[in-house]
Amino acid sequence: MHVYIYDDYLNKSKYNKAVNRMEIRLTDLGLNGKIIRLGGIKNIKGTIQNEIKLGAKTIVAVGNNQTVNKIIGAIIDTDIYGDFQKKTLLGIIPIGDDNSIATSFGIKNEEDACNILLARRIEKIDLGLVGDHYFLNEANIGSLGTNIDLGDYSIEAEDKGIVRIINLLSDKVNNINSNPHDGLLDIVISPRKKSPTILKLSKFIITSITEQLLVDGVISVKTPVEVSVVRDRVSVIVGKDRSFQ
Amino acid sequence: MFNRENKLEKFKDAETIIGASIKVKGNFHGQGNIVIEGMLEGSLKTDANIFIGEKARVIANVEAKDLVINGEIKGNIKVKGYLSLGGTAKINGDIQYGEISIEKGAAVNGQLTAVLDLGKKNDNREIEKDKEIEE
Repeated sequence: MHVYIYDDYLNKSKYNKAVNRMEIRLTDLGLNGKIIRLGGIKNIKGTIQNEIKLGAKTIVAVGNNQTVNKIIGAIIDTDIYGDFQKKTLLGIIPIGDDNSIATSFGIKNEEDACNILLARRIEKIDLGLVGDHYFLNEANIGSLGTNIDLGDYSIEAEDKGIVRIINLLSDKVNNINSNPHDGLLDIVISPRKKSPTILKLSKFIITSITEQLLVDGVISVKTPVEVSVVRDRVSVIVGKDRSFQ
Repeated sequence: MFNRENKLEKFKDAETIIGASIKVKGNFHGQGNIVIEGMLEGSLKTDANIFIGEKARVIANVEAKDLVINGEIKGNIKVKGYLSLGGTAKINGDIQYGEISIEKGAAVNGQLTAVLDLGKKNDNREIEKDKEIEE
C-alpha cells in the first residue's frame, strides 16, 4: 500500500494544477493510496510510523527537500517496529522549487515521478547523520573558524567561505559527484577566492565558534557535533537518470 | 627532459585536495592521491602520489610512492618511486628516493640517498617479520 504525505505548502492555489496532474496520473497507473496532509499534524513521526504499522509498504513524500527531511526520520527509525520499517520504501514526487534530492534520484517532475513509482527501481542509499538528525543531501556551515577533528588529525579553515558535507549531490559546476553507496561523505571547503579543499571522510566532529550546522537546509544544529555516515540505511525508489550508480 | 606538466596529470583526479586556506594538524594518512596547497603539521603518508603546491608549507615527515614538490617541506622524505623537486621547492630534511629530478632553483638542506629497491627492501623486511612471528 502507498501512503502519500502532502506538504503544507501544496494547499496554495499555484500548486493545484500540479497536484491534480499528479493525482490523475497516479489513478491512471493504479497507484492510488492514502493521502496524509502535513498541515495540522503535530506528531509527523508518530503518524507515519502508525501507517507503517498498519501495512504501508511505500511512503511517498509529495513536496520538496524539506518534505523528504520531515519524513525520513520516521521511515528509518527502527526502534519501534523493527522489520516493518526495514522493508518500507521511500518514494518522492517533487512539486515546486527546492527539489535537488529528487533531481539526484533522477526524478524530474511530478508526472515522471509517478512513472518511476510504478517502475519500482530500488536503491539502498547511505544517510548522513549529524547528532541524531539524518540527512540525504548535504549539511553546511561557514568555513571561518570551523574545525573538523578526526582524532588522528584536524582540519581548520582560515578564510571565509562554506564547508559542505555531502552525501548525495551532483554538482557538475563545482566538480562534485558524490556516491551515496561508498560509506563516505564528501567534504568540500570552498573559500571565496582560493581553491577548494576536497576530502572523503566517514566520521568526525565539527566545531564552529560562531555558526550552527544547517542540515539539508532545514534543521540548524549546534556544534560541536559528531557527523557520520550510515551505510545503506534507506531504500529509495529512483529513476534511471539518477546522478549515481 | 622532465616535463612537470605531464607529471601533474596524475593528480587531476586526486581524492584529497587540501586548499590554500586550510591548516591540517596531525597524522594525515591516505590511500589515494593527495594534493597539498595549504599548511600541514604532523606527518603525511599515502600509498599513492602526493603533489605539494608552490605555496604549500609542510612541517612533517612525508612518505609516498611518487612525490612532486614545489613548496616547502621541513621533515624527512621517503619516496619509493619518483621524486620531483620543482624550482620553488625548499626542503629541510633527509631524502630517500627511488628516482629523482631536481629543477634549477630547488634548495635541499639534508642528505640525499638513492634507494633503488626501497619498496622491495621494505617488502623483504615485512616477510622476515612475518617469519619471526610464525616461529
